[in-house]
Amino acid sequence: MYSEDAVVIVDRLEKVYSGDVRAVDSISFEVGRGAIFGFLGPNGAGKTTTISILTTQTMPTGGRAEVLGYDVVKEPSKVRKGIGLVPQELTVDDELTGRENMELQGSLYGVPYSDAKGRIDELLDLVKLADSADRYVKTYSGGMKKRLELAEGLIHRPEVLFLDEPTLGLDVQTRTSMWEHINKLKRETNMTIFLTTHYLEEADALCDRIGIIDHGRIIALDTPEGLKKAVGGDVIEIEVVECEDDILEMIRNMTDVVLVDGACTDNRARIKVPDSGVALPKILTSLIDRDVQVASVMVRKPSLDQAFLEFTGRDLRDEESTSGNNKKEPGPRKGRFHRRR
Amino acid sequence: MMKETISLIARDLKRWYRTPAQIILVFTTPLMWLLLFGQAFNIGRLAQVGDNMTDLRLVFGGATDYFSFMAIGQTAFIMLFASFFSGVSILWDRKFGFLSKLQVAPIPRAVIPLSRIASSLVKSMLQATVVIVLAASFVLVPGLSGLRFSPSFDLADALGMALFLILLGISLSALFVALGLVVRNEETLFGLINLLNFPLMFTSSALIPIALMPDWLRAIALYNPITFVVDGMRQLVFDTSVGAEYSVAVDLLGIGVFSVLMVSLGALLARRALLRG
Ligand SMILES: Nc1ncnc2c1ncn2[C@@H]1O[C@H](COP(=O)(O)OP(=O)(O)OP(=O)(O)O)[C@@H](O)[C@H]1O
Ligand SMILES: [Mg+2]
Repeated sequence: MYSEDAVVIVDRLEKVYSGDVRAVDSISFEVGRGAIFGFLGPNGAGKTTTISILTTQTMPTGGRAEVLGYDVVKEPSKVRKGIGLVPQELTVDDELTGRENMELQGSLYGVPYSDAKGRIDELLDLVKLADSADRYVKTYSGGMKKRLELAEGLIHRPEVLFLDEPTLGLDVQTRTSMWEHINKLKRETNMTIFLTTHYLEEADALCDRIGIIDHGRIIALDTPEGLKKAVGGDVIEIEVVECEDDILEMIRNMTDVVLVDGACTDNRARIKVPDSGVALPKILTSLIDRDVQVASVMVRKPSLDQAFLEFTGRDLRDEESTSGNNKKEPGPRKGRFHRRR
Repeated sequence: MMKETISLIARDLKRWYRTPAQIILVFTTPLMWLLLFGQAFNIGRLAQVGDNMTDLRLVFGGATDYFSFMAIGQTAFIMLFASFFSGVSILWDRKFGFLSKLQVAPIPRAVIPLSRIASSLVKSMLQATVVIVLAASFVLVPGLSGLRFSPSFDLADALGMALFLILLGISLSALFVALGLVVRNEETLFGLINLLNFPLMFTSSALIPIALMPDWLRAIALYNPITFVVDGMRQLVFDTSVGAEYSVAVDLLGIGVFSVLMVSLGALLARRALLRG
């Protein structure tokens, strides 16, 4: 029933906290070897709870989960040997230096000291902490601690790495270099990675597959492209010097093209197409053939942002919302993500 | 299992000796007790007021003065306080996420409490040694009385003392580390410590001679584990069974049984607490 090379198998997993908090509500998915799988969801969606079940910290109340072929409930110690975790909350020790933290981590994971030494230098270099390695962690900034945490998670070269919001609180540069690094790990070591994030761009940049989770349920599970397709195609906005009806007519008659507003606004036409890469040359060629002067062209790819709204927007959890109207404007929903633009 | 235990002990000790305040406290707290309590509270003088010269050794567990009596009791307190700290420290580790790191790591669960008990023992034994040395060196200070060892005190006696203290340290820290794992709220743990602190401390013969206690208190004190420890140690230090409640063998048996009980209870509690929620 499951594919051979699935390293994480989650089957109708459920976690109900004392009473009736359904933190994880019957979710099922698989992660193949070497894949990067991302959980995307707002605060309180159940991401951390899922990770803590998979990393043997929390007992599920229903369903089952396997990591590397071992049941997380029945064989937790075997699971622990093969996994690494970079938790959402910091666990580094403030009173030790960065290097000492790494050494401790190495010994907890049974890395022989001779191997550990080299790896520690390598990893500290990678997270750009080589210069601060011998300083106490209490003198680190929040982002430095987070990077140390990431380096710790990698010291024993786990087969499956769990990253709970790996870039939360990092600056844009560090975030980007973290992404590069995660992609590199995947390419070079075939490590399987399970990550959670609020950042839509992050899931897009890293993941082979994304599960959108909300209220403990997976509401969409697909590749980033698939999710974007489900939301609709690209939007092309063409600005012409003079908008005439026959231009609109021509566009309307093309296949696979939808004219969004049915008219120009400020000499701009908005066109929705499944794939702008294919459609745009065709449209431009036709326009130039008719001697239409094009002033500007803009292509907007559908974002996961939109995807998220599409899948969760109907079921808003705005507690303060009292009206029965549950069709909401995108504005307030976006506010729930830590967006950085 | 050995390797990670040692790494964790080293981690605990680094946290300790790198905090200057802690090092100062190692010396000043016992100094305070010895000076203010041991010297000021010299109830030996009371007994000698008037003519009825009793054999003070009967009151002071073989010692001829109160200070020597209480200095030995003081070492037992060191073990008690160190155990409190070990319990509190593990609660802090939970609070700051370090415990969750240990829970994910592929180490036997027992390593978590065991390493903490061991590091607590290292610290407390060091402090106990400081207490003994300080108390003995008081004799060099004019106007102060010092801890007077029997002339026949030897290495075997010193090792015997260490054994008593280690057993006490193991049993108390097993209990408090387990409590630190079970209780997840600081106020509750502090409250619990306070609740246990007084009865453990003042129903023992560590600071107050059993001979001076009212009957009901004496009945309790005779079964206080700290009493077994100080009773045994005093016989080793003063080399006499005069004023002792039990023989050294019985004292050892008493604290031995208590250790087994506390370690079992601690293991039971810790196991439950480290199980996944
Ligand atoms: N120990 C707990 N006891 C009770 N409820 C809990 C506990 N831990 C989490 N929850 C609840 O479970 C739900 C899911 O929490 P979880 O931490 O998994 O969310 P998350 O998706 O990781 O959110 P975030 O993005 O804020 O990290 C929340 O409603 C939370 O209040
Ligand atoms: Mg979380």
